[in-house]
Amino acid sequence: MHITPDSIILFQLGPVSLNATILFTWCIMALITVVSWLVTRKLSSTTQMSRWQNFIEVLVIGIRDEIREISRQDSSRYLPFVGTLFLFIALSNLLSIIPGYKPPTGSLSTTTALAVCVFVAVPLYGIAQNGLSYFKQYTKPSILMLPFNIIGEVSRTIALAMRLFGNIMSGTIIAAILLSIAPLIFPIIMQALGLLIGLIQAYIFAILAMVYIAAGSRVRQNKKGDV
Amino acid sequence: MLINWFTVITQIINFLVLVYLLKRFLYGPIIKAMDKRQEKIDLHLEEARKKKEEADKEAELFLKKNREFDGRHEEMLSQIKKEAEARKAELIKEARSQVDADMAGWYGAIQKEKENFLQDIRRHAVKHTCAIARRAIKDLSNADLEDRITSIFIERLQNIDADDREALARTVQHPAEGIRVNSAFEIPGESAKKIVRLIQNLTTDSVVVRFGILPELICGIELKLHGRKISWNISDYLEPFEENMRATIEAKTGH
Repeated sequence: MHITPDSIILFQLGPVSLNATILFTWCIMALITVVSWLVTRKLSSTTQMSRWQNFIEVLVIGIRDEIREISRQDSSRYLPFVGTLFLFIALSNLLSIIPGYKPPTGSLSTTTALAVCVFVAVPLYGIAQNGLSYFKQYTKPSILMLPFNIIGEVSRTIALAMRLFGNIMSGTIIAAILLSIAPLIFPIIMQALGLLIGLIQAYIFAILAMVYIAAGSRVRQNKKGDV
Repeated sequence: MLINWFTVITQIINFLVLVYLLKRFLYGPIIKAMDKRQEKIDLHLEEARKKKEEADKEAELFLKKNREFDGRHEEMLSQIKKEAEARKAELIKEARSQVDADMAGWYGAIQKEKENFLQDIRRHAVKHTCAIARRAIKDLSNADLEDRITSIFIERLQNIDADDREALARTVQHPAEGIRVNSAFEIPGESAKKIVRLIQNLTTDSVVVRFGILPELICGIELKLHGRKISWNISDYLEPFEENMRATIEAKTGH
């Protein structure tokens, strides 16, 4: 049994290795992109539209409203990043219903990569919004808090990665173990639960990412409020 | 080691590529389409708002006109009533005059009919009376009616009063169309000569007397000279009868 799909090596050329994580990630990327292209190829701007367009619009509007509610700002700036996080993780988790499929989110490398992206995105959005004064928040309320703020920043990133990885990996492993112990019915229930957990985790990851980004971007607004 | 750093880097790149692809193929077009639709909806709403405003204005105008109309309603109604009354009176007047004209026509026609009827009766009465008289005279005195009529006429001509004689003499002297004696029958030669002689006696100038036959006289004989007339006609006896008939008809018809 493989704990992580990283260990399933499909192709190896020196340090470059093509493992199941990367392969399935590409599959998900291709799937999302192709479906998006197919749907958005013939978009209707009237009230008459295809079911797929309707579905995609509902999805995008849902994500946008969620972002707007959390950030209390214009959502268009954060939509591509946070929306992609949610769609990628959600699809990655939901596809685990397919036999033989290994969710890339069950790999710590993937969750780390996503967490790193969030870790980098937070200051980038903060700087884009507030300029270099963004960094001043690390010295609040006192310069003495700087190390703790940095530790807090790093630790929440690690927590982000570990939470997603732990949940998905455990779900996969529990399903595998149950399959060997009680092969009838019970694994189906766990699988269904796994799907729910996968969706919730995608939501949690995206929401937390948005909260972190919004917290970094809101500094100037607070300042304006103080003035 | 659970973390494969090559995979981490690859996944970071993969994620960034996915962000770009979704921005290019999903969020961008979808948001654009939604914004466009929103614009259209806003436009429609704006149009609807304008139309509603127009409709409100129209409704206000209509209500105003309605109120004005209600205000003028009574006035218009009374005016219409007056006009209708006037028209009614005019029509009644026209109808009455029409009826009067028709009635006058009818009365005229009835009167004419009555006159014709009386004329017919008179003619028949004269005719029959003549026949009866002729027969009665024949039976009683074995004489001819026409002879008797001529004799009576001659008698009247002989016994006219002085005024009439003088007037007749003046007329006989200057006859415009000659002297004409009309009768319903042929006057016998002897009687005709007697008549001519009597007329000649009225003047010293010679006179020309012409005899004519007029069937409408039925049983009569007359001498007409410029408004002067000496005659005998059985219809003279029937005048009271005609008057009586007329009175009876008028009593029956009420006219």
